Amino acid sequence: MNLLEGAVRPGFRAPDAGDFVFPSIFGDSVLTTKPVVLVFFSVILISTFFIASSRKALVVPSKIQFAGEMVYGFVRNEIGKDVIGSEFQRFVPFLFTIFTFILTNNIFGIIPLIQFPTMSRIGFPVSITIFVYLTYHFVAIRKHGLFKYLKDMCFMPGLPKFMYVILAPLELATYFLIRPLTLAMRLFGNMFAGHLLLILFTLGGEYMLHDKLIMQLFSVFSFGFSLGFTFFEFFVQCLQAYIFTLLSALYIAGALADQH
Amino acid sequence: MASKDEGAFWNIISYLIAGMGFWGAAGALLDNFLKTQIFVFIGIFLGLFLSIYLIWVRYVRSDPGNLGK
Amino acid sequence: MTGTLGIVGFGLSTIGPGIATGLIFAAYINGVARQPEARSILQPLAFLGFALAEALAILGLVLAFVLK
Repeated sequence: MNLLEGAVRPGFRAPDAGDFVFPSIFGDSVLTTKPVVLVFFSVILISTFFIASSRKALVVPSKIQFAGEMVYGFVRNEIGKDVIGSEFQRFVPFLFTIFTFILTNNIFGIIPLIQFPTMSRIGFPVSITIFVYLTYHFVAIRKHGLFKYLKDMCFMPGLPKFMYVILAPLELATYFLIRPLTLAMRLFGNMFAGHLLLILFTLGGEYMLHDKLIMQLFSVFSFGFSLGFTFFEFFVQCLQAYIFTLLSALYIAGALADQH
Repeated sequence: MASKDEGAFWNIISYLIAGMGFWGAAGALLDNFLKTQIFVFIGIFLGLFLSIYLIWVRYVRSDPGNLGK
Repeated sequence: MTGTLGIVGFGLSTIGPGIATGLIFAAYINGVARQPEARSILQPLAFLGFALAEALAILGLVLAFVLK
């Protein structure tokens, strides 16, 4: 169905999902498209930063050591210790990796000249979600055993018997389908929508700039919005990295708990 | 604890999606076999009430500081 | 520009729950700030209100897929 046909004047190309597909830089290999190159770049960046910040650890920290320790301390105390509880030490490396990886890749969206959040391609959130999904089920099955894990999940105490028949599929669907789905979709959707919004305002401003004088005046607003949304996007990107890590920690904590 | 609350919000949304999605899909499957149109809506509303009941059991009734006590 | 009107309907159906969620948590935060010991009473009520409001948004999402 054609919505708004004729409402958009010819010449302006509204941004769509095609703006997220990049040609390969060298040859035809999928390994050299922009998102994949950015992922490799982010891994190098994170490793360099944290090796540099922890190599010559002093009692009185230098500036870079202080920055690295602040990020680590945040994940360890605010996310790991508060949520998981007594056994948190085992999971801190996992949570820390997820947090820094997602944060760096998200912030690529507003850095000039790079300007593409890697997580707005669905494959990257899905692959991180697969790791989280396997981890929390594995942890729970190893701690409780498969049968008890499923039993605790489906039959919570204090309900009339006939309700279990219709509530148990709901719990199973929540744990095995909806949780990973929402985890991946939330990160992907936020990054996709934010990047689309920035492209829309920038392209719209640029289009109006080549029009009549009155439109040129309005293009200032469009560029202003795109600048404002850049700062808003920075906030959203940090928040999404935090929420993804926090929910991973919560799912692990739920898997470790005795009664769900 | 603030972070536990935050998990509860997303759990509530997950339960709602699971309830309506699962029972709606079951209704749609039944519609497909019986060549009717009504069961998908029955399923969606059944799932809506079930998920709200489940949330009530999980987060409202089981709370020790509840008003009802 | 192509797409289905169902998605527009979903967008419209999220406005009400968005405002409702804002009001619920504004009231909850207000209550807890004035009387911190009332938190354990207010929290389940806030969750229940949140679930009831959010149910409408999810209903819009599901109906966007169902209605052709």
